[in-house]
Amino acid sequence: MIATVVVMLLCCFFFATIMQKGVPERMPIAVVDLDKTTTSRNVIHQLNSMQMVQVTKVCNSYAEARDMLQRGDIYGFMLIPRGFYNKLAGLKRPTLSVYTNNTYTVGANMAYKQLLTMCNLVAGALQLEVFTAVGLTEEQAMTLIQPIVMENHQIGNPKANYAIYLVGTILPGILGLIVLTTTVFSIGLELKDKTSREWLDVADGSMPVALIGKLLPYNLIYLALGICCNMLLFEVMDLPVAGSFLLMSLAMLVYVCAMQAIAVLFIGLIPTVRTALSISALYGMLAFSMSGFTYPPMAMLPAFRSLTWLFPLGHYYHVYANEALLNGPIENTILPMIWMLLALLPQLFIVERLRYAAINLNYSPK
Amino acid sequence: MSAFKDIWNSCKQVMLNIWEVASNTIVEVFHDHGVMSIFFIAGLVYPFLYEGLCWENTLKEVPIAVVDLSGSQQSKRFLRKVDASHDVKIEYRCTSMTEAEQLLQDQKVHGIMYFPRDYADNLEGVKGQAHVSVYCDMSTFLYMKNILLSSSLVMLDEMHLVQRQRMSALGVGDEMINEFIQGSQYEETKLYNPIDGYASFLIPPVLVLIILQTLFLGLCMLMGTLREEKRLYKVSNNKWSNSIQVNLGMALGFFIIYIGLSCIDLILVPRIFGNIPHIGDVKNLIMFIVPMLLSTIFFSLFIAGFLKNRETGMVVLLPTSLIFLFIAGVSWPQVCIPEAWRHLSYFFPTTWSLHGYLHLNSMGATMSQIAKEFNALWILTAFYFVLAVIQMVVIFRKDPKSLASNN
Repeated sequence: MIATVVVMLLCCFFFATIMQKGVPERMPIAVVDLDKTTTSRNVIHQLNSMQMVQVTKVCNSYAEARDMLQRGDIYGFMLIPRGFYNKLAGLKRPTLSVYTNNTYTVGANMAYKQLLTMCNLVAGALQLEVFTAVGLTEEQAMTLIQPIVMENHQIGNPKANYAIYLVGTILPGILGLIVLTTTVFSIGLELKDKTSREWLDVADGSMPVALIGKLLPYNLIYLALGICCNMLLFEVMDLPVAGSFLLMSLAMLVYVCAMQAIAVLFIGLIPTVRTALSISALYGMLAFSMSGFTYPPMAMLPAFRSLTWLFPLGHYYHVYANEALLNGPIENTILPMIWMLLALLPQLFIVERLRYAAINLNYSPK
Repeated sequence: MSAFKDIWNSCKQVMLNIWEVASNTIVEVFHDHGVMSIFFIAGLVYPFLYEGLCWENTLKEVPIAVVDLSGSQQSKRFLRKVDASHDVKIEYRCTSMTEAEQLLQDQKVHGIMYFPRDYADNLEGVKGQAHVSVYCDMSTFLYMKNILLSSSLVMLDEMHLVQRQRMSALGVGDEMINEFIQGSQYEETKLYNPIDGYASFLIPPVLVLIILQTLFLGLCMLMGTLREEKRLYKVSNNKWSNSIQVNLGMALGFFIIYIGLSCIDLILVPRIFGNIPHIGDVKNLIMFIVPMLLSTIFFSLFIAGFLKNRETGMVVLLPTSLIFLFIAGVSWPQVCIPEAWRHLSYFFPTTWSLHGYLHLNSMGATMSQIAKEFNALWILTAFYFVLAVIQMVVIFRKDPKSLASNN
């Protein structure tokens, strides 16, 4: 038990520090400079001044850059063709090529965005030169170069910070994993050590009372841990919370209860601690993908979409999205909580089976 | 002659001991429901589950709402093009932002496009800049990616139309206009995952993680059982010799089970599903899998030495799966991981395995290109072998009763 609290705190510390910056910085890229003029060197210089990328190598050939990409040294590269400067000077548009390694999606997309911005800057500078040469004022030229401006509002997470996006759901996910396995373990241990009859006797033979008596102290510890997680996120790491912290804590309580209920379901169905533990581990790990916070259910295999409802983490994530990011109406927080509470229903049927197991101590060592 | 025979006999004995431990380990695994379900349910079912989860590979037709106060020909044309793209779908047309915001909060739409009243007016004539606002639901980054991608592509297209009108109004010749608008200014190539698919990105590392983590957790569970039931193997009276032989034997046993599973998950599965990259050379992949498994086995044997019973490992070590994934720097870029964590990650076999496998399998790297990862795994194999041997000697010294008495 103490070990699991330590593990949880360690996980909190790990995820709080690993994405410290929130947005990737200084991603290594390369430039293949076949032009070798002041202009092309200027492009490299400008790329280096961008915060998100750094040119770690100026290559002499495509093959060299590709080799670096395949070794995983860079996330992408830009190829400046021969005759780049001559074309620019002749007011013809030279073509820049951008290559990214999308095996690493996040890094590649970040590098891609920066390289593309650079391409647009080069093109824009050229256009400005042409238009002013024709005799337009700079202001007129700008309205020609950029007649439409797009304003982008990223709700609740204006800088597309990965920590806000991921950590808010990953930590509750890990907490859920720990709740699941320790609950299975603590009940299973009674069966395994053949102490379950005494445990039941303390509760005057009533399984529900025995369960509540056993799980309530754990519940309080996990709830405290869960609220600590949220405090860490919103107070220490200072992530924004648009809605109510109180409601999120309430959702945490419901979530912990739901995970405990599911654990009781597993140990009730399979009253052998190791098998139940393995099964709950399999279920718990699946929750991260099933909750749909990285890859939304709308693009899953249709049969899987409805299965996502069976994972409380998914409902908790909806609460998180609603309270922390969107600040939507309270119904959107209450509804997922009701879904989570439904996890308590199967207990009505499983309690009897668990009582039977507790009395007959049917733990087989193999 | 007899000295030679002695050496030969003792070698033979060692080989037999190792094989005995290995075969016992395999039998032990097959008799343990807990370990079996981790090894085989997770090992064989998870790849298919994840494939089903990321079925469509990319997100299509993300629902958005539009608020078009301009109601002009230009804004309608813009929206038609947006709607025509695969990435998003206009689900609602609202008359006010409040209405659209409500839809977004209810997650009926995941983005809003807003055209102000003066959108078309600003595009008339040769001056003026028109504004479009885009609002993204940030609860999943993939929504944002789709919405921004489609709206910026349409915006570029619309800008070209306006540029053409304005330039000819200013008396610029057609040829020059074409030079500007039609000549491409850049070309892009997304290598190894051309449509930037989510399954193509996520599933290869998940496959590696499934293999290594099930091995890690299952092995810890089995070692915990042997320790708890006081059945740790004993084949020699010398502590060190015993420890070396037992470690080698157990490693061989797990290796035999896992080489098969690895070939299925890491080589066969990517070839069954079209959306998982698989351009690696099979011979190279097998060559890489060997140190991958061995380093993980000895790493696990070392860690398992700290566990005194079978269940604690599962409860305490399960969350490491996520830590190993993140610390390796596959989803969150490796260069952005704080220095201390990055140095720590070099001690985990998963880090090198993930990168090496991705380079071989998804990027078609050659063995010389992954020499760094390959060598690192062999170094870790030797490192953890030594630690595992020392660990077992310590266990025997501190807790001699945990040895099997009948062996």
